Amino acid sequence: MSSSPTETTGLVDVTMPQMGVSVAEGTLVAWRVGVGDPIGAEQTICEISTDKIDTEVPAPVSGVVAEILVEVDETVEVGVVMARIAVEGGNGAAAEVSAQSGAAPAVPAPAAPADPSAVAESGAVAEPADGPARMHPPGRRYSPVVSRIAAEHGIDLSAVAGTGRGGRVRKQDVLALVNGDGAGNGASAGEDPPMHIESPYRPDPVPATPVAAATAAAAADGEGLSRMRRQIGAHMKRSLDTAATCTTWIEADMSRVEAARAKLRVTALAFVARATIDALREHPALNAWLDGDAYTQVPEINLGIAVSLGDDGLIVPVIHRAHELSVEGLAARIREIAKRARARQLTADDVQGGTFTITNPGQYGSIMATPIINLPQVGILDLEAVVKRPVVVTDGDGNDSIAIRPMTILGLSWDHRALDGALSAQFLATVKRRLEGLAG
Amino acid sequence: MAVMTYLQAISSALRDELRADERVLLMGEDIGVFGGAFKVTDGFAAEFGTDRVMDTPLAESAIIGCAVGAAVVGMRPVCEMQFSDFISCGFDQLVNVAGKMHYRQDLAVPLVVRLPSGGGFSGGPFHSQNPEALFMHSPGIKVVAPSTAADAKGLLHAAIHDPNPVCFMEHKHLYRRVKGEVADGIYETPFTARVARAGSDMVVIAYGAMVDVALKATEDLEGASVEVLDLRSLVPLDEDAILDSVARCSKVVIVDEANMTCAAGAQVAALIAEHGFEDLDGPVVRVATPDVPIPFSPPLEQAVLPGIDRVREACRELLAY
Repeated sequence: MSSSPTETTGLVDVTMPQMGVSVAEGTLVAWRVGVGDPIGAEQTICEISTDKIDTEVPAPVSGVVAEILVEVDETVEVGVVMARIAVEGGNGAAAEVSAQSGAAPAVPAPAAPADPSAVAESGAVAEPADGPARMHPPGRRYSPVVSRIAAEHGIDLSAVAGTGRGGRVRKQDVLALVNGDGAGNGASAGEDPPMHIESPYRPDPVPATPVAAATAAAAADGEGLSRMRRQIGAHMKRSLDTAATCTTWIEADMSRVEAARAKLRVTALAFVARATIDALREHPALNAWLDGDAYTQVPEINLGIAVSLGDDGLIVPVIHRAHELSVEGLAARIREIAKRARARQLTADDVQGGTFTITNPGQYGSIMATPIINLPQVGILDLEAVVKRPVVVTDGDGNDSIAIRPMTILGLSWDHRALDGALSAQFLATVKRRLEGLAG
Repeated sequence: MAVMTYLQAISSALRDELRADERVLLMGEDIGVFGGAFKVTDGFAAEFGTDRVMDTPLAESAIIGCAVGAAVVGMRPVCEMQFSDFISCGFDQLVNVAGKMHYRQDLAVPLVVRLPSGGGFSGGPFHSQNPEALFMHSPGIKVVAPSTAADAKGLLHAAIHDPNPVCFMEHKHLYRRVKGEVADGIYETPFTARVARAGSDMVVIAYGAMVDVALKATEDLEGASVEVLDLRSLVPLDEDAILDSVARCSKVVIVDEANMTCAAGAQVAALIAEHGFEDLDGPVVRVATPDVPIPFSPPLEQAVLPGIDRVREACRELLAY
């Protein structure tokens, strides 16, 4: 076809047609109509000449010639707009409606339930706009999955700002609320959003979603900090005052993790946890406690995972003997302790005995941080967002090329009193190697 | 492991079966001395003899009818339709005789019909069709459609071992374009779907040649995480895998190279409408060949077949919904 509707004006373009595979341009020989003339579909609008053939160009639609853009004897490339036809009735009106759809009509007119035979004819070669465009936006109607998630979490959808077409509330919008809120039962197992359900931090200020805004407002001016906030503050400050904190970063290609985690239906955090455990086995100096001058390497790995408690703060429950768990086992344990932490059901044992901590605040797209060591441990690993980046990859023959890869920056804060930078770099390199070397 | 084309993988499966099982025999037009229209059975007649690699008359009804008889008495015949389009001449033998034999007479019909299908090479209306949905609609027949070399071999082995009539849809466009590592010897690929690429924002469901189109169309959609599900088997249809993808992704595009109406994708869409409704976050979108014959003319053919651009556009629209 040599026509395509121009969206906003109700005008239809008449373009220089492709007259053969090798023909790249054509010359306008004569116009059969002038601006303002009515023309019927398939009626000849102009004559053109190419190096293969001379031919007549039919009008793609019925209407009135609105513009003529190419002069006689002018040569233009295939696809160039030669004229525009103003479409009467239907198309033009529809275009206008959608152009002012901001002022939504009280009753959204659904696409007319056109008679099936018409659909069969015009739908034969579907134009791109044909499918999804028809499903347009019901002022406030919600898809099944959005309704279901909202019902499960008691979310008032009328207060949710949608990011879909025409402000439609999408699954992502309602899931963001569920996860951001951290409330209740969390996302169901089948819907792990990329990696961050265990995110320990709340951004401050909170992004402008109505529900979150309401809770943030609760922390009114002038009130004292909560007990938990004070404890977190004291613990963090003591760490910074005590440890010789230093942070080292390494970049890792998460392609294999992303592929593997989709297969196992687990978060990337579980893979990072497993890789960390393996790296701690290779570099046991990081799986240790430093209390004053007393430095102790611990034989078992008790892995702390920072878990956000919404506005209240965060807590670090510990997965004891984590080295005995597979990736799936770790994923299940992480889900379980995060759930219990949020339900305030952790016991004293659950938060004691950690030998190393992982924190994972990448939910909001941040890419680097300098985490604070959870004393008396000597290291904490920070996993931030996984971001697609162009990277240089080398094939088996040593040829370099640029590829798009999901990359992340792993940060290790370590205590310079207990170890030195070379070891921390070796440790990070091991984590990276494990993550990148996963069996596909 | 060896790297093979899709076509070589099919040849390899046939050769391995002929060597391993004396009940296996091949029948078809010009498959013996000439080695087949696409050279799938090149050299077979010399190795296995013309009793086991049989040139038949140009009579699809006779080919399938004889094969049904051979299957019923314990052979494992594999028939080649030179082009899948020609199956219409053998339709009665396949649909009414082979498909209903077990139901009527409790007799197994371990028959495989190889159907070189699909367009994209200016073969015109008689050499480009995708008739798989006809057989999905007929009880008693299994239908498989590989998209990779490894699956072409594994599914063909599984089809030959299966006690039911199996339509093996081999896509001509993939014959020499698709290459991949193929395990040595005889192995079976299960009649289940395969996640060709995992994702979470949207799933594109396809089979045969459309899997590659789906993968290329969704390679880079502004960072969206798009799953591609390769059905591999149409009967049985892997309903669990489909609903599982829908539950995770909530948006679905279904691509068929076959004509739109009542295509395999229509069945997938109906399944999702009935059992995946609660998981949907947008309309189920289909991209297929319109209900027209496949044109000879290359530009016209490209215009009707679902190409990368059309699939990408449909995905963009649905992602934005």
